[in-house]
Amino acid sequence: MEMRHLHALLKQRHSLGQLEPKGGKLAFVTVPRENLRGLLTELRDVHGFTHLVLLTAVDWMEDGLFQLTYMLNNRGRDMTLGIRVMLDRQEAQGDSIHDLWPTAATYQRELKEMFGIDFPGSPRIDEEFILEGWTDLPPYRRDFDSLAYSQQTYAERPGRVTHDPREYMKSKLYPDGV
Amino acid sequence: MGLREVLTPFTVWKHVFDEPVTIKNPIGRPAADRYRGFHQNDMASCIGCGTCEAICQNAAIDMVPVDGIETRTGDSGLRPQIDYGRCCWCALCVDVCMTGSLTMSNEYTWVDTDPDAFRFVPGLEEPWKDDEEGYEREGKRVLSGIERIHMEEMPPETRISNFEEIVDGYSRAEAILEADRCVECGLCVATCPAHMSIPDYIAAVRDQDYDRGLEILYETNPFSEVCGRVCTHKCETSCAALHEGDPIAIRWLKRHIVDEVPFDRRLELIGKPAAPTGRKVAIIGAGPAGLTAAFDLARAGHGVVVFEALSHAGGMMRYGIPEYRLPYEALDRDIGVIEAMGVEIRTNCRVGRDVTMDALRRDYDSVILAIGLNMGRSTRVPGTEGPGVEKAVDLLRRITDGEEVPVPERLVVIGGGNVAMDIARSMARLQMQKYGRVGVTLTALEDIDHFLADREEIVESREEGVQIFDARGPQEVVRDESGAVTGLRTWRVKSIFDADGRFAPAYDEGDEQIHEGTMVIEAIGQMADTSLLEEALTEALEWNRGRIRIDGAFRTSEPWLFAAGDAVKGPDVINAVADGHRVARTVMDELAAREVMQ
Ligand SMILES: Cc1cc2nc3c(=O)[nH]c(=O)nc-3n(C[C@H](O)[C@H](O)[C@H](O)COP(=O)(O)OP(=O)(O)OC[C@H]3O[C@@H](n4cnc5c(N)ncnc54)[C@H](O)[C@@H]3O)c2cc1C
Ligand code: SF4
Ligand code: SF4
Ligand code: SF4
Repeated sequence: MEMRHLHALLKQRHSLGQLEPKGGKLAFVTVPRENLRGLLTELRDVHGFTHLVLLTAVDWMEDGLFQLTYMLNNRGRDMTLGIRVMLDRQEAQGDSIHDLWPTAATYQRELKEMFGIDFPGSPRIDEEFILEGWTDLPPYRRDFDSLAYSQQTYAERPGRVTHDPREYMKSKLYPDGV
Repeated sequence: MGLREVLTPFTVWKHVFDEPVTIKNPIGRPAADRYRGFHQNDMASCIGCGTCEAICQNAAIDMVPVDGIETRTGDSGLRPQIDYGRCCWCALCVDVCMTGSLTMSNEYTWVDTDPDAFRFVPGLEEPWKDDEEGYEREGKRVLSGIERIHMEEMPPETRISNFEEIVDGYSRAEAILEADRCVECGLCVATCPAHMSIPDYIAAVRDQDYDRGLEILYETNPFSEVCGRVCTHKCETSCAALHEGDPIAIRWLKRHIVDEVPFDRRLELIGKPAAPTGRKVAIIGAGPAGLTAAFDLARAGHGVVVFEALSHAGGMMRYGIPEYRLPYEALDRDIGVIEAMGVEIRTNCRVGRDVTMDALRRDYDSVILAIGLNMGRSTRVPGTEGPGVEKAVDLLRRITDGEEVPVPERLVVIGGGNVAMDIARSMARLQMQKYGRVGVTLTALEDIDHFLADREEIVESREEGVQIFDARGPQEVVRDESGAVTGLRTWRVKSIFDADGRFAPAYDEGDEQIHEGTMVIEAIGQMADTSLLEEALTEALEWNRGRIRIDGAFRTSEPWLFAAGDAVKGPDVINAVADGHRVARTVMDELAAREVMQ
């Protein structure tokens, strides 16, 4: 069964967006949050997508959305399907799937720490993952200012000097401004 | 706790005599091929744009001078120095690098007791500086756009029968995309003769703040609407973006800003001049040099009168540059702002005929000469005397004035510069209107790769049907028994300059051609008409190879007289603008100094 077939079949029971194929073996599809669980379960139990490859997020700050991407793989058929769910960025809350795939708990903990997206009920969700004693905005949010953070957090070794290329060229090539 | 958990720690004892998996001394152990280790930088291709510094989220990079690397056009002479106490090896700097000079070796082990040793300029003497392994970006930069946003133009078949403007200008959406490609490095600023704040006004486009953009333009250039269309845009030849793609369309973005601000709003933004000082300055010539000086002086509150021989202001911007490149309304708006500052422009008033230099010297505190180069030069080959042979600048002036000019079915232009292209393309339009087809032949000494004209002028001329014969030296304007012109006789050029670099064309006399045409137009250069000076002043002034000698501040050898623009320097509008600012500053300094003396 190829991707388009599968999509047509699933569409009969789930509210799915358009299929976005990326070559023969990989495709993406967007679903409403309330459809996610049902779809994942069917893919896992009926269509052989038994492997959760990864769960990750994109910050669409300007649109006020977080995008979650669940990559599922059917090993037998060598097919990968990316399921996207858009979340309200303000609310920043997703639905835990650790009971479907235990590994999801780890991804969810990472997303909580790096993006501030909560997954209520996910094991150890509030424990520190790799950041220790982090007090700032979650660092993968696009409004987190990495440069300002590193300047505040890490001391500058004395003796550093920099030059603005434009001003430096002026001083060398036309010091009196003409 | 079960028995297993209690016993497990002891089971590891069986490994106690095994070879350790970790390495005691990691020095010398090679990393993977694509490992991101200490940076490498090809000093010769890095241009010191500082984009690596700007992107580094750890503030690990400083731009510093390096011995042996000079500051020059398109290269700041600075190079990135990296503080490895801060670097996190993310390679963003490598990915963003405008030239691809910055890469990373796979070298990562290094022990030193001096922490300052870990702050250095990559590419100088590290042992790994030429290593092949390590991380480099695949292909060209991807974090800023490579290709210029396309500019719509009128196609040749539509534009050839009229003088309407060819270039459309960007829409807002297009301009934002083009502005987005600029990394704000500022390398281009040094190249612009007026040192316009290019990255700042491009940022204003990106921010959609056209009021701010316009104010920035006016800080350095009161002819931004003109320059946004016809500037020689040398800045674009030093743009950081050209190393792996198209340079930013700096000229078109400038034009876009002015196009977006209505004229009345422009006047509001520029505001009123300072209170009158009571000082008066006379300016001879209403070209870009004279009018820029007038703008600066008037804004500072000085009384300014500009004397202009022709019926309209603008100089070569009006009487040279054809309308299809620069519509008169665009020029009129730039001049309108200058007049709104209180500058009086007396047209149809030729100094030397309608008013004398002596009178100006007497009635004004200072006099600025900005008379341009308005007389066409002649090849002086046999046959150039007499009817049927014209000078490009004379014809262009008459076309602008709306005079009826003779339009033959076939004509020959001599010259390979932009003026030659302008007259060829103007005459082609007139021929199209009169005969429905183009009959222009253009001959030049240079071979096509060394034409002085811009590439786009050559391309567009050909698209419009101009036939170009390169490396042809004019020998004679051929005339029939009645004296009427029938063509131009040329020989093939073997070389233009002699061994000492002097102009001395050598020809292959065996390769002769007659280019047919009943008119020959010479477009080989212009010279100044300095007859207005009259004898005494001509004698008194110091000269330099036929031009009035000026110092770096545009003073002539006479303390009351200053000179600027094409007549003393050149060669284009933006240089005239830069000169205008400079001469105005000198005049203001002198006026202030005299104030103190009195
Ligand atoms: C055909 C042509 C095309 C060009 N195209 C371009 C281009 O695309 N881009 C670009 O940047 N540059 C271009 N240039 C060059 C540019 O126009 C000039 O460099 C610029 O106009 C010089 O400015 P200026 O003020 O020194 O002199 P001008 O513009 O020549 O102005 C001098 C003024 O002084 C007046 N004058 C002279 N003698 C007297 C007198 N005795 N009394 C009163 N008034 C007098 C003249 O009538 C004229 O109006 C072109 C030039 C020509 C000829
Ligand atoms: S971005 Fe590249 S070219 Fe520019 S200064 Fe840095 S290393 Fe040099
Ligand atoms: S690798 Fe990253 S942290 Fe290091 S200098 Fe480059 S941009 Fe900065
Ligand atoms: S236009 Fe080019 S050279 Fe100028 S600031 Fe932008 S990228 Fe740098």
